[in-house]
Amino acid sequence: MKNLVQIRGTKEGLVLQLDDQCDYTDMLNELKAKVSDPALDGSAEVQLHLGYRYCTEAQYKEVVATIQNNSHLRVSKMRSEVISVEESNKRIQERQSETYVGIVRSGQVVKAEGDLVVVGDVNPNGRVVAGGNIYVLGRLKGIAHAGANGNREAVIAASWLEATHLMIDDSIETMTDELSVLSEQPEMECAYLHSNGQNIVIDRLQELRYIRPQISTFKGGS
Amino acid sequence: MGEAIVITSGKGGVGKTTTTANLGTALALQGKKVCLIDTDIGLRNLDVILGLENRIIYDLVDVLEGRCKVHQALVKDKRFEDMLYLLPAAQTTDKNAINPEQMKELVTELKKDYDFVIIDCPAGIEQGYKNAVAGADRAIVVTTPEISAVRDADRIIGLLELEENIEPPKLIINRIRQHLMKAGEALDINEITTHLSIDLLGIVADDESVISSSNRGEPVVMNPANPAAMGYRNIARRLLGESVPLMTMDKQSTGVFSKIKAIFAK
Repeated sequence: MKNLVQIRGTKEGLVLQLDDQCDYTDMLNELKAKVSDPALDGSAEVQLHLGYRYCTEAQYKEVVATIQNNSHLRVSKMRSEVISVEESNKRIQERQSETYVGIVRSGQVVKAEGDLVVVGDVNPNGRVVAGGNIYVLGRLKGIAHAGANGNREAVIAASWLEATHLMIDDSIETMTDELSVLSEQPEMECAYLHSNGQNIVIDRLQELRYIRPQISTFKGGS
Repeated sequence: MGEAIVITSGKGGVGKTTTTANLGTALALQGKKVCLIDTDIGLRNLDVILGLENRIIYDLVDVLEGRCKVHQALVKDKRFEDMLYLLPAAQTTDKNAINPEQMKELVTELKKDYDFVIIDCPAGIEQGYKNAVAGADRAIVVTTPEISAVRDADRIIGLLELEENIEPPKLIINRIRQHLMKAGEALDINEITTHLSIDLLGIVADDESVISSSNRGEPVVMNPANPAAMGYRNIARRLLGESVPLMTMDKQSTGVFSKIKAIFAK
């Protein structure tokens, strides 16, 4: 019989390679038997390689529990070659940029899964929300929420950054008097989460290429 | 076939009803047949400002519920021959007594007989607002040089832009006080128009006689020398397609002291 569970030692540490063609319960039973082997008595961190098997969230938890309840091994990392269509679509959307042309007026909400480009002003009490970055070609005078799905690297950039509220992931900054000192000249600015992970800071737009170099997707050039 | 214009603002007290009364009167003076509709059911005012309160027999709700014919409810303003009519709001019920479909039907009916149907919208963005905008072809947003009024105007413009049957709204800035604007205490005209970024239809000066003439039941526009009346007349002419330059708000002071100052200034 083919080995459904292989334990290999690699440069990155111990790897548990699970067969991706067999029945799930067979694999789970063998996994249980393998990790319960008294020969494996030391505690160590392992990486889990699922190959091309698609595991639901519940199944994944079950696999991890099987390992951790029957041995001293701890799962540090999981690698899978497959994702669901739903998740794939979500990832594509998150990488896409959506454009809104017009004024976001008081009481209006403009949402995007990925980056959001607004060509026009965002007026007070208008709200722009994006899973990715927010770029406003106009005056941002309302509320902007970037990285709404947990992307803490997201930035908010505007030709005129005079927002009342800035949000990145779950951090919020109201534009108080102290902050407006920082942005005495609100022209061409960007806001991002400081490396301390708490404060939102505002800087000149020219600095963005150094602060978040990964935003630039343009390769090459002269 | 005439056109229906809704006068709205979001915020209360900026001068929707005064604007409706004065624009209606100005258009009637220009020889247009005008019908004003007060949709502020429960808090009607337009009849008072026009001085027609005592002549109301039936109202908007009576018409929509079929208790009378439209022409029976219309109150004729005798000062303007056959040119100005008012369809008053009901006072004994509330805004939920009618619905947008009924209003649309009524306004379409009235447009056949009148050059202009001007709808006075209540404050707010609820049922009353929805009723008022239902039949309109065009919208005029009234604001004052106050931040709160401009914020609400912004909200209303956003809602009006969603209405597919209404042309992009136009702006009237009401109750302008020149000395406050000059001192930077009030928002200036440029700030307001760039913030709201819609076309400016006209500006109206803040003038005490607007209040006194409202109390007398005579729209201020009937007195052509009045500065506020000039604003309303210009707006009416622009509505008729004339191009009238924006008036300057500088008031010539005529006091003795300023005359002396003027001599020394030479």
